Amino acid sequence: MIAPFAASFSAFAYFAIAVVLGLFFGFFLERAGFSSARKLTAQFYLKDWAVLKVMFTAIVVAMLGLVYFSLMGWLNMGQVYIPATFLWPQLAGGLLLGAGFIVGGY
Amino acid sequence: MSAEVVSRITAPLTAERAEAMSQRMIKKHHVAIMLLHWFNATVWLTELLTGGALISSPRFRVAPYWYIALVDGFFGTRSHLLEFHITVGLIWMVVFGVYGIFGFRTYLAREVIEKEVALDKDDWRWLWIRLRLIFKRTNESLPPQGVYNAGQKLFAGLVYAMVPLIMLSGLVMAFHLVSTSLVQWAIVIHFAAVGMVFSGLMIHVYMGAVFPEEKPAFFSMITGMVNELYAYRHHFKWWQEVKMHEQAWKREVVEGTGNEVPDPALEWPLGTDSPPPVARPVPRPGPTLHRVFRDPQPWPPYIAGFGLGLTLLATFLIMGQGLGASGGFTRYLVAVLAWISPRYVAAHDYWSQYAQPGQSPLLDFLVFELIGVVLGGLISGWLAGRVRIAVDKGPRISKGTRYLMALAGGTLMGFGARLARGCTSGLALSGGAVLSAGAWVFMLAVFAAGFTGAYFVRRYWL
Repeated sequence: MIAPFAASFSAFAYFAIAVVLGLFFGFFLERAGFSSARKLTAQFYLKDWAVLKVMFTAIVVAMLGLVYFSLMGWLNMGQVYIPATFLWPQLAGGLLLGAGFIVGGY
Repeated sequence: MSAEVVSRITAPLTAERAEAMSQRMIKKHHVAIMLLHWFNATVWLTELLTGGALISSPRFRVAPYWYIALVDGFFGTRSHLLEFHITVGLIWMVVFGVYGIFGFRTYLAREVIEKEVALDKDDWRWLWIRLRLIFKRTNESLPPQGVYNAGQKLFAGLVYAMVPLIMLSGLVMAFHLVSTSLVQWAIVIHFAAVGMVFSGLMIHVYMGAVFPEEKPAFFSMITGMVNELYAYRHHFKWWQEVKMHEQAWKREVVEGTGNEVPDPALEWPLGTDSPPPVARPVPRPGPTLHRVFRDPQPWPPYIAGFGLGLTLLATFLIMGQGLGASGGFTRYLVAVLAWISPRYVAAHDYWSQYAQPGQSPLLDFLVFELIGVVLGGLISGWLAGRVRIAVDKGPRISKGTRYLMALAGGTLMGFGARLARGCTSGLALSGGAVLSAGAWVFMLAVFAAGFTGAYFVRRYWL
């Protein structure tokens, strides 16, 4: 069986696994200290580098894992969702979200 | 040493002293233990009642046919009964798993087992004398006992040995693991292991609920406390330990104040000059798991990031998509809109993408993932003692200002996230990991705006 497995689950299993994955997601975000708006915004004042460190560690780990699994033939990358690029909306959206981030704190 | 202690325990107490001791309560059980005990009792009762009805083979049957028919009737079908039995068993395993992981040093560390389950020389002697006492073959007095007596320890040992067998064989049977022959063996093991525990359980329940001398033990499982006289008579070594702690604490409190008044209540009962030689309370070993999860400080960023990365990787492998947040919130919104006015949603270019006719917009990975996020964050924060209701703001602004900022910032973020088709999680993190060009443009834009904007709102945060 080749990943991703989503299609082979029953609806119940699919949503139960979704909750479990979310559980880990929330757990590690909280573990990183990201439940604090002050810790998050401290990144933008260069007082606490946790946001960049956590985010890029996660990206690198997931990326290397995906490359490894796909090279071993365990993952069909063709079925993995890759966000399409819309240059200008994503640039503008990013600027708005970044501004909102530092104002709102999350 | 044991003979000396024996002579000490057999010496009579004065009436006043016994009276005073029977009035003083000392703590025996933590509330977590009491909850686990009654949870366990409920599970055992349920599983024995349903399990007994499940065994219908004439050769192994333990319950009369009328009982099997009654329980079958109650559940409707045998498969419902089986499902119920399995579900309760799984819940039992999960609860014990949680206790085992987070309470490892309290319940399972080697020192605890050695002290509370393993039998020492006094315990073996106690068993031998107890046995002969039943048949009135001796008038020796019983050797002193620790926090649990030898009988309780034997039962605990039996349970510790059998419960993993019951759990494993139950799993093999419930999910037909590995092979048919293993499942057949599992049936025998499950039956035999439960039988072993059941035989001990009869004595355990009799002792706790019926045997008059052990009444305080029964009530201690409800209140957590036993009176000192009971502790002195039935668990002398534990009583000594408690007294040692009390005295050490006393010494610490009055130290250096110059008024070290010996409390008569704490004197050793038999006028010995020094406290009897009791092993010092075992310092419980550094519980790594415990320390890691209960630490009030956040984890080092590279560790948390590694965990987050593995979660993201697992999500890609299992679901074929990454983690997200804003997409899930959008679906919650669409669900509310569709509930108010389905026609409006159906006619709307953007909302209608999320609400296919005949399918709820809530049947989506992100919607359920967000439920998990809330729970996971709560679990982590709760373990670390970070859960509190507070307004997290800079020192120079009022709560009202912070609320307004949150609203303004949230509005900007929400608009930006929908414009870019994703937020920090769904686009920057997940899209970044699969090298989506747009995701990296977005991520750099987020940080560019964040660093620039930080200058203008510095008064609010610093």
